[in-house]
Amino acid sequence: MQERERPGGLTALAVINFVFAGFSVLSLLGTAAFFTLVDNIPTDQMDAAQRAQIEALQNLGTGALVFIFAINLLSGLLLLLSGIGYLKQQKVLGWMVGNAYAVVSIVSSVVSAMMFARELGGGFNIMTIVGLVYPILTLVLINTTFKEDLTN
Amino acid sequence: MIHLKTLNAAHIRLIAVHWSRHAVRGGAGLVYLMIALVFGLSVAHMVIMPVEQLMTVQERERGQVDPEAVRNMIITVGEPITQFVLGLRSVEEIAQQDTGHEQPNARNFVGPPQEATNDAGSESWTDFLLEDRPALLSAIFLLLLFGMPFAISFLAFNQVTGDIQSHGLRYLLLRTERGNIYFGRFLGTAAFSTAVTAVLIAIITLYLGLRIQIYPAAALAGWAIHGFLAVAILMLPYIAVCSIVSASVDSPFLSLVLAKLIIGGVLLFAFLGGLKWEAVKLVKYLLPWGWQNHLLHPEPSHWLAAGLACLLYTGVFLMLGYARFDTRDL
Repeated sequence: MQERERPGGLTALAVINFVFAGFSVLSLLGTAAFFTLVDNIPTDQMDAAQRAQIEALQNLGTGALVFIFAINLLSGLLLLLSGIGYLKQQKVLGWMVGNAYAVVSIVSSVVSAMMFARELGGGFNIMTIVGLVYPILTLVLINTTFKEDLTN
Repeated sequence: MIHLKTLNAAHIRLIAVHWSRHAVRGGAGLVYLMIALVFGLSVAHMVIMPVEQLMTVQERERGQVDPEAVRNMIITVGEPITQFVLGLRSVEEIAQQDTGHEQPNARNFVGPPQEATNDAGSESWTDFLLEDRPALLSAIFLLLLFGMPFAISFLAFNQVTGDIQSHGLRYLLLRTERGNIYFGRFLGTAAFSTAVTAVLIAIITLYLGLRIQIYPAAALAGWAIHGFLAVAILMLPYIAVCSIVSASVDSPFLSLVLAKLIIGGVLLFAFLGGLKWEAVKLVKYLLPWGWQNHLLHPEPSHWLAAGLACLLYTGVFLMLGYARFDTRDL
């Protein structure tokens, strides 16, 4: 099969994937550090809203913690792999893993909105839509604009 | 000498449609789409979040949300901020107003010329934005009018410069004239920018209408259309600035950097220079910075004049860029 030249948009998509994968790693590290320290944060000087937020974090169950970790890890991994796939214009690593990332990310955004308390950024708000922008764009673009470029 | 006789409407339309349809595929469109949506929605979140928190507190304490109280809170909090953003009051004046000592005539640097407004006018403008129109949408539009010119160069920086660098234009010039490429790509960029603006404002308006529910749907829809037109028209002169830069340099990266420096630099220079010399503040009128908020003015004469001025700036910048593009070595 003749190799197609990689369009600039696909390169941009790969770069954005790598940037977001980096954010996922930072988020993993930040979450790990926060949850090891959260029980020792003094709340007596805080106002009611801040205290409610810290208490909500302290009361998070192990299941929720595992969910946050697993989703961050999975998203980061899928972003990284699909970014490489876009650069190499591969069907499996690019198109399939890219679709998997988009679906996982959309599902996790919806589940997070339903699962977590409002104090923890749960509930549907504009930031939920911001979180959906990139996965939806990915889903649309790799299945329309760039579909014929991910065939190696 | 500018050769406009070679322009062909069918060619321009074909190039514009192709350019806007392939903006995402080229990369610049994708980056702009991400930046515009994330910036616009984050701005909306910043404005709407405190209101959502207030509504949550009301619901918890009273069992229901009181839309009138929420609207009044928005007006009370938003009035001094809006007056500052519109350049009708300086920070010092707002502080003095709070303590009962008002100085009505001083202006900050982003405001219109002093003779253009007075206290009654300034109050009516603020009241119009906060009371007569959905205040949350007004606040978001003011922030978009300020912020979107910084984002537009990510879309418009590479209208012709990449093809100049790669000498790819030589192949296109076998089939059409320079003017058709130049104006076609400008129109394609403008069409893409307008479509992104429409999507952004539609998302924000739908969220306000379906989720927040403190404004009537008709008022939201009407003001959303006005705000969309304001942002869409304001983008045109800034895209035209990028057209000049893109037609003048041989490197896409240099074009992006120069476009950013010009668009941001004019405002920064006017601000910093204005601190030392009053006359330097006028530099901001080289671009629409000085009067672009008038696109949201209550008087039709003001917003119509501002809209026409946008088109005039666009025409002048486009012609300057075309004069360069038409005569340069490709």
